[in-house]
Amino acid sequence: MSRVISRRLLAPCAVMGALLSSTVLAADDAREWLEKMNQALTGKNYDGTFMHLSEGRVETMRIVHRVRGGRVTERLQALDGSGREFVRNNDELTCYLPDQHTVLVEPRQDRGPFLGSLPKFGAEVNDFYRIESLPASRVLNRPVKVIAVNPKDQFRFGYRLWLDEKSAMPLKTQLCDASGAIIEQILFARLEMPDNIADSELTPAVRTDGMRWIRQGPPHGSSPTPLSAFRAMELPPGFRLTISGAQTLGGASVPASHLVYSDGLATVSVFVEAQRDSGPDTAPPADPPMQGLARVGSGYAFSTVIQGHQVTAVGEVPAQTVEFIAHAVKLSADHSSAPQH
Amino acid sequence: MSEQIREQVSAFLDGELPSSETELLLKRLTRDSELRESFGRYALIGEALRGSGAVRLSKGFADRVNAAIDGEKAPLVAGLQSAQPRWWKPFAGAAVVAGVAAVAVLALQQRAVSPAAHPMVASNSAQSPTVAPIATPVAVKSNVVRVAANSPVPGSREPVSYVTPPPSRLTNYVFAHSKYSTGLGRRGVLTDLLIEDDEVPAGSRAVPPVPARTP
Repeated sequence: MSRVISRRLLAPCAVMGALLSSTVLAADDAREWLEKMNQALTGKNYDGTFMHLSEGRVETMRIVHRVRGGRVTERLQALDGSGREFVRNNDELTCYLPDQHTVLVEPRQDRGPFLGSLPKFGAEVNDFYRIESLPASRVLNRPVKVIAVNPKDQFRFGYRLWLDEKSAMPLKTQLCDASGAIIEQILFARLEMPDNIADSELTPAVRTDGMRWIRQGPPHGSSPTPLSAFRAMELPPGFRLTISGAQTLGGASVPASHLVYSDGLATVSVFVEAQRDSGPDTAPPADPPMQGLARVGSGYAFSTVIQGHQVTAVGEVPAQTVEFIAHAVKLSADHSSAPQH
Repeated sequence: MSEQIREQVSAFLDGELPSSETELLLKRLTRDSELRESFGRYALIGEALRGSGAVRLSKGFADRVNAAIDGEKAPLVAGLQSAQPRWWKPFAGAAVVAGVAAVAVLALQQRAVSPAAHPMVASNSAQSPTVAPIATPVAVKSNVVRVAANSPVPGSREPVSYVTPPPSRLTNYVFAHSKYSTGLGRRGVLTDLLIEDDEVPAGSRAVPPVPARTP
């Protein structure tokens, strides 16, 4: 009798075990492919044209990425419409805006590619995202591995990636919300991976004669200011403060506090600025404070006023996440009596 | 859109368009804004019909899809009766109409929880933030959706003057954020800035021209 029961129990257990191990293997396989994709995006030369689709709009863009002697140079170019271009080297990002007769220059600290790799999946990321392999498919007439990175709650977005089986490059990428709804897509129409890329392919086509050059102020990471006393007192699950500094934004005479919160995959920036007084009658009027939510590309920005400061949270996350974080920003108790200007 | 181009678009979205024809399609797309709009529409409808995920849409786009449906109905019926072009082959007519209708319905549902429910406005009072009244979208051209409202605050006798927030400020924030944005999010941020179509950052700190560095 007990032998019969044992057999009856063993069979489903074996099936469940097999299913579990196959699920684990599939997840490991997916992680390996994500790592291959990271290596391809950061370490290979490529020159491609892709379509960026969002809300029924399609824009065609060209990406050129070159690694030579440990030095990375990238060019991202809009092929229709504005004619805008970004060129990045190891030190800075230059944004050419011919439609606005403006060039923006930003010092760079990250080393990630324009197309964006994914960070390594540590235990903390696994707590909030589930990765899985989906049935194989074809993109650009090439066989592809399909990987899904699914958010486990409503506070973050997920991705579906179609990775070229030969190069591991993401030939198609979808940004999705927690319900699986597609927010935006990147779809390559042409992708070459040459051994050499000429300098001319990385030179912007924009003529800069007569254009205005604007430099975003350098970060003031090591000099604490009263603004640095602001923190988000509560965060969505998994998010933590990763960077705290100050930066002079365009149009401002004093630096803004810049706080960066991340769950390992998604990132939210929080800017805290002292509200500018109107000053004497001859001074230009101060900007009115901003309140509320705005759609910013595939993400959101939420602004509010807290303790006489303009607080804005920006990130490629759902609206509720930026709203949650912005509302949670407060002057920490230790500094609540300190002067703010 | 001609039948040939429609079939090219369909084959491309299925990953089956030969590279030579893909190049031609790309050239057409960069030249023809109308074709780009049609392409975007077909891509969305295609994703909905493939069942690879619902598609988040704005109300404005839902209106354009609905208008497009009206425009496409006649060729759809004609196509099914005759040679059945590639685009419509996998689907029965009723299924196509149902699928497209689902896209439109979804768009309206999504709008109910869209940012318009919490418009970004500029308030004249920092100490007592004003409750946003009914909002009217004023610009959906760029990727920054600006929302303005000119109605008085409910319960208030005084009309409140709202100012559309300067997208230049948002652009500054997004640009600064892109430096720390991790993973694929960075790509999203930068590609969005490339196609953004807003005004010059107001009062930005100008510096003398410097030559672009060559690698």
